[in-house]
Amino acid sequence: MRIFFDPEVLAAAWPGVRSGIGVTLGLALTSIAAGVALGLVLATIRALIRGAPLRPVGGLIAAYADVFRAMPPLVLLVVLYFAAPFAGIELSGFMAAFVALGLVLGASAEEIFWAGITSVNRGQWEAALSTGLSRGEAFRRVVLPQAVRLTIPPLTNRAIATGKNTALASVVAVPEVLNQAASVQAQTASPAPLLLAAGVYVALFLPLVRIGRWLETRFHIR
Amino acid sequence: MSSVLELRGVGKTFGGVPALKDIHLAVGASELVALIGPSGSGKSTLLRCCNRLAEPDAGDVVFEGNPVPAGGAELASVRRRMGMVFQAFNLYPHLNALENAALAPRRAAGLSQSEAETAAREALERVGLGDRTTAMPDELSGGQQQRVAIARALALRPRILLLDEPTSALDPELVGSVLRVIRSLKEDGVAMLIATHEIAFAREAADRIAFLADGEILESGPPAEVLDRPKSERLQSFLSRL
Repeated sequence: MRIFFDPEVLAAAWPGVRSGIGVTLGLALTSIAAGVALGLVLATIRALIRGAPLRPVGGLIAAYADVFRAMPPLVLLVVLYFAAPFAGIELSGFMAAFVALGLVLGASAEEIFWAGITSVNRGQWEAALSTGLSRGEAFRRVVLPQAVRLTIPPLTNRAIATGKNTALASVVAVPEVLNQAASVQAQTASPAPLLLAAGVYVALFLPLVRIGRWLETRFHIR
Repeated sequence: MSSVLELRGVGKTFGGVPALKDIHLAVGASELVALIGPSGSGKSTLLRCCNRLAEPDAGDVVFEGNPVPAGGAELASVRRRMGMVFQAFNLYPHLNALENAALAPRRAAGLSQSEAETAAREALERVGLGDRTTAMPDELSGGQQQRVAIARALALRPRILLLDEPTSALDPELVGSVLRVIRSLKEDGVAMLIATHEIAFAREAADRIAFLADGEILESGPPAEVLDRPKSERLQSFLSRL
């Protein structure tokens, strides 16, 4: 017990882990916001170009979603950080993690929004168009609000997964919670910092899980 | 008298199967024209070709003297003046009755929020639901939902209403409330083209009836003529099975 919760090691680890919390939250919030926004924009484009001559764009969006849902975020991250410099693209660890997590979440979010949009009854489009609303207005005022309700539970899960995946950034030396804990662990050869990090992650993301559950009931379709 | 809406030789095929063949039909100002015929005869497709929710393959749809534009803002403007009521109501489930009826006046016709709400309130009063403005669709009976859907179309002050079997999805005891509203609109001089299975209603309220079978208008004329002296075998057998 003493080994796992060594108070001296914990005290030594805490300042670094505490500063890591800010980095973890910053990376989580920015990549979740970017991923959700990217998914929404792409799904909107895909919904509005149906039937137009731009139809191949929809195929490209679907291809992006498929590829990046098949890509492990850790692999994408190391490619961006360690391989991209050979192509002249130098990203900081934080930027590489932000781009990797954002792209992966964006792909999932696009599919989730798209599934929500296509599950809205065709009659809703027709009713809106029959009153002279433009396609854009029909989408924004009628279809999207209904799609978003269906989207909340799966999207919340993906957002939480993205938040937890910020721990992957420790491999590219982003000083977030796990990275800070691991460096103290390496110096002290004590497992205590890792347990501290585990506790911090639960403390950070348990509220998100709870909020997600609340949103699910709040947006439950009657 | 000039027609509000006129179909000239309209045709439509779905995947090579003809759904409408050479339809000629006119609806004059304050006229009520009823489309009758078996399920799958093309009644819905005909109505949907009028506002181009379905794209006709042949012929012209003429609204107030001009061909219905193919798309864009011009088509949207025609659609505003051509209200549509659906068999399945298609109310917006996330909006209350007033918001359902005020959405298009605000966002399509460009009225201010208060003007749009006034138009919506008046329309809801006209269908007897002035006291249910804040009700959500799922809090209303089927008949009330369909009346909200009629109000949604009326709030734009359309020149004609296209009604696609407006009572077919209703429990029998609720049909009367919707038909009463349609009758009162007729008395107010609203032109209407209505697909219906309510033959008794068509007989009493319609100025003319068109009988549709396999995508063709086989007979049309005043109710007494079409319903009491059917010429074609198809219409005779259709009427005998009711």
